[in-house]
Amino acid sequence: MTAETLVAATARPRRAPTGRLLASELRWMLRRPRTLIGLGLLALVPVLAGIGLSIATGDGSGPAGEGLAAIIGGNGLLLPIFVLFLSLPLLLPLLSAVWAADGLAGETANGTLRGLLVAPVGRARLLAVKAFGVAALSFVAVVVVTVVGLITGLITLGGGGMISLSGTTLSLGDSLARIGLVMLLVTFQTWAVGAVALAISACTEHPLVVVSSVLAGLITFQVFSLFSALDWLQPFLLTSAWDPLANVISDPIPWQPLWESTGLAACYLLIGLSLALWRVTTKDS
Amino acid sequence: MNGRRVTVAAAAAGVLTGVAGLGVLAMPAGAGPAPVLPEIDAQSLVESVLTTEPAAFGGTVDVNNDLGIPAISGVPQLSDGVSSVRMWTDGQDRVRVSLPGSQTERTFVDDGENSWLWNSADQTVTKFPHGEAPEQQSGEQQLDPVAAARQAVALVQETSDVAVDGTARVAGRAAYELVLTPKPDERTVLREVRVAVDAELRIPLRFSVFTNGTAEPAAQIAFSELNVGPQDAGLFTFTPPAGAKVDEGAKDAEQPTREEAEKALGEVAPQVVGDGWDTVLVVNAPLDAIVPQDAGEDSRPERGPRPEGEQFDPRALLAQLGKPVSGEWGSGTLITTKVGAAVVAEDGRVALGAVPEQVLVEALGQTK
Repeated sequence: MTAETLVAATARPRRAPTGRLLASELRWMLRRPRTLIGLGLLALVPVLAGIGLSIATGDGSGPAGEGLAAIIGGNGLLLPIFVLFLSLPLLLPLLSAVWAADGLAGETANGTLRGLLVAPVGRARLLAVKAFGVAALSFVAVVVVTVVGLITGLITLGGGGMISLSGTTLSLGDSLARIGLVMLLVTFQTWAVGAVALAISACTEHPLVVVSSVLAGLITFQVFSLFSALDWLQPFLLTSAWDPLANVISDPIPWQPLWESTGLAACYLLIGLSLALWRVTTKDS
Repeated sequence: MNGRRVTVAAAAAGVLTGVAGLGVLAMPAGAGPAPVLPEIDAQSLVESVLTTEPAAFGGTVDVNNDLGIPAISGVPQLSDGVSSVRMWTDGQDRVRVSLPGSQTERTFVDDGENSWLWNSADQTVTKFPHGEAPEQQSGEQQLDPVAAARQAVALVQETSDVAVDGTARVAGRAAYELVLTPKPDERTVLREVRVAVDAELRIPLRFSVFTNGTAEPAAQIAFSELNVGPQDAGLFTFTPPAGAKVDEGAKDAEQPTREEAEKALGEVAPQVVGDGWDTVLVVNAPLDAIVPQDAGEDSRPERGPRPEGEQFDPRALLAQLGKPVSGEWGSGTLITTKVGAAVVAEDGRVALGAVPEQVLVEALGQTK
């Protein structure tokens, strides 16, 4: 929210139109150089992965790696999905944590949150605008990865319809539909991380604390999954929702694990947003 | 301010809902109340299972394994934990089975003419002709299926008590619970085997093995999802994807001929000691013969480190898995799981069965 909107909003006592708030927030976030640099670096990931995998599979010496990489040779449509799954454990959560940190903790650190809290915008609406900004940019990040991945995949790896994990060759339409589905699923998981990051962001005035605690949490979750003694904890960990997403490229799609993953992310999303709302509402202005 | 209080209450409710949601997701799905079904006696239930017509269905089978068998790479369904298998059948001879792993999948498709095995981990397809063997054995076993079923039931009843123990709901379908309990003089580590039989189709929906002293099954194979009815015909066809290595050599070169198979069987020389629940199988399996040549090549256990770059030593592995035992029959390594045990003797004999150590050792003493 820019200074002008603030001034304009205080000049007239009526509520600021939500659409304008959202557009302003988004414009403000997209103008930050670090956002653009982050997105630009993210766009390099599919390019590097595509080139690397095409070199690895080019000599016909067999699979390029484990898991999804094993079937990626000549399977260019799979690259966006591969890169999305590659970015999901760390890169996408990192970006959404940075944006969430800027949203509340960053504004507090700059002293600008005080102005926002006394503005004629309800605190719930303020949080909604901030959450929208994080969500929209997370989606933009996923779109960037997907589009660059798709183009790189078709150029470097080539191939027609996507080859599924089950060994079937999917039609072009089906392949694109699955890419779209992965985009939605991955975006939603990123939103869950972003919501938790917003909650932390509402509690601190140091953006760095937000980013580092989100990263520490993710790494801790992934370490937990290494110990079989902690197996009982698995169903509660957000990171355990990410492996089953690979079921999207199984044929036919088993929907149950996808619903479970999305349900888990929805719980984190709800908890994160609720905690953020609680904190923002009770915060002294 | 009232509005603020409402918002805080809403936020608290949101947190609680989220936490409750996590709990619900983590809980295994409840089975629901047991259905009410007409009474049936065990005899006719078993007969109906053995004589039922195969039905077309598609479903997911959850394998819940608590046997204590060490992880076997590539087949997560065998190692401890929960895994699933997806399967479809048209009720005749066309079948599709998927074994999902971690971001990998093995798919088996039998289209009625050819069988295909796809492994996404190395992008290979193995093709072999559909069932040659089954036709050849028909002569000796052309029995009335009902009579054969009766025989089978009688055989089972010699060593077990068979009973119908109420009803259950498995994968949303009503089922009878059939319980097989070993007779008191059977020397086995198993307590009972429960089979949930679909009330309508008479196919087993759940198979659980219980051992002495535990309330939870040591192994359970159960449908978690079952859709009965004709399945999409496209599921039963398979076209090797572009870029996949298709291995058709299985038919000519690699598939052992009958003589070779018999020779191999002769070398292994399986002997059966005892009957019923305390059956012990004794085979000759010299360690050096059964160690796969490429062991350690593409095998990677799900968890834990793996001796890399070292010579794969089966004896070291055995020593790790079991404890040494010896007696008049010789010496060897005893490996115990929850549902049974195996003794790998130094002289290459292997005895295994769902029995305590004592019975295995006796069996080894009786055989050469």
